[in-house]
Amino acid sequence: MASFIPSSADTLEDMLLYTQARLTQVACLDCLASVGVKKNSEHHTSIQWNAAALEACPEFARWDASPLGREIHQGCARLVASIDAAVREGHIDIGAEDGY
Amino acid sequence: MSDTRFLDQGAPPERFARGWHCLGLAKDFADGKPHGIDGFGGKLVVWQDTQGNLNVLDGYCRHMGGDLTQGAVKGDEIACPFHDWRWGGDGKCKAIPYARRVPLRARTQKYPAVVRNGQLMVWHDVEGSEADHDVLPPELAGVGTEAYTDWTWEVLDVPSAHCREIIDNVVDMAHFFYIHFAFPTNFRNVFEGHVATQFMESTGRPDMDGAGYGDEGLVLKSEASYFGPSYMINWLHVDYKGFETEVILINCHVPTGPNSFKLQYALCVKKPEGVDDATADYIGKRYSETFKEGFEQDVHIWLNKAPVQNPLLCEEDGPVYQLRRWYEQFYVDKADVTPEMTDRFEFEVDTTKANEYWREEVARNLAKKAEEDAATPETADA
Ligand code: FES
Ligand SMILES: [Fe+2]
Repeated sequence: MASFIPSSADTLEDMLLYTQARLTQVACLDCLASVGVKKNSEHHTSIQWNAAALEACPEFARWDASPLGREIHQGCARLVASIDAAVREGHIDIGAEDGY
Repeated sequence: MSDTRFLDQGAPPERFARGWHCLGLAKDFADGKPHGIDGFGGKLVVWQDTQGNLNVLDGYCRHMGGDLTQGAVKGDEIACPFHDWRWGGDGKCKAIPYARRVPLRARTQKYPAVVRNGQLMVWHDVEGSEADHDVLPPELAGVGTEAYTDWTWEVLDVPSAHCREIIDNVVDMAHFFYIHFAFPTNFRNVFEGHVATQFMESTGRPDMDGAGYGDEGLVLKSEASYFGPSYMINWLHVDYKGFETEVILINCHVPTGPNSFKLQYALCVKKPEGVDDATADYIGKRYSETFKEGFEQDVHIWLNKAPVQNPLLCEEDGPVYQLRRWYEQFYVDKADVTPEMTDRFEFEVDTTKANEYWREEVARNLAKKAEEDAATPETADA
């Protein structure tokens, strides 16, 4: 059942545009995780995980297993390094389209 | 075909979110009296029984609709003011003083309740599911002990906006400059499962005469997570002119109608070394006032803005659409929650350009002010 109900088909298109457009798959250089990445600028990064990627990442498994549980803010440093490498190698276009 | 952007106001959802909602400080309900709380399109009654447990039921009696919040606590039960039917915390009618027997069907709606960190939480789900204790907000070590001040508690009524407006704040980097008078220098979001987090560092604007967070000496490091649809814990490291304080701010709400909610916030402070209790309480109150100003600034915007289903974003904005996709999980049946709603998502906002422009704007404001001050002759003891 729909919850917040848009009144126009264009809105649904916008939802797809902002959440899915221009995502490049980046494979982690250290594990089997593969995530969707977008960079609107050098300092901006958007990372879309899925369940399989999260399961493949040993860093997250380690945090989950620690007695205190995972700290929310932990991202994976190896993945960040992999994204940086992908940028250096020109696999990721840096720059936004019309705000997305 | 016109190129004009259409503002899609959409329609608010027909249901209230599934999840834990905070109704207030547990101690405020512990006086043996019934308490009325507006929520979920109606009214709830809260009372403490003889074992010290807090019970929460729908506020209206299933007999003839009497207002239980105006009744009385008799033994462990809440007694209706109309014909004295006695309702137990499990939702069952336990006794009708004038009747041979209680009808088998005399069951009312109960809200599963838990006290967490000294606050009363209730589970709400239109599907009537069992309360999910795995998604309660975490226990806060040290809170409720001598190490922290007591919670403050404030309520702001928001009579004409949907509570998604306050959720949107999680990703709204730029409003911190315009509405709260701070430079957000670092801004990052992570959404995963039922938790949505904002990491932010900010410095107060020097051109705002100390309004809101607009004080150059105020540097915040903030980590704020929604645990479910309505309850945010904000861990704040506050540096005010070199005086550092650890503050825990709870920002939570209860929806009252399809387009209204009560915004509530609580705050406690880790007592700084060498500071007596009265002073620590005073510090807590002062921070509470600062955040009150902040929330009031937000509320003013919400009460006047239009709802928007299709926000138009620029490159410097946060991930509004992804946040709303996360928030959607609480408004669909449990079986209809999709992986996209709960999959981990990370977003780092680029604040560099924005802050360059804002620093220039503030410098211009300060220069203009200095000019004006110089032009106005000092009125000595007028
Ligand atoms: S309406 Fe409550 S006892 Fe009759
Ligand atoms: Fe705000």
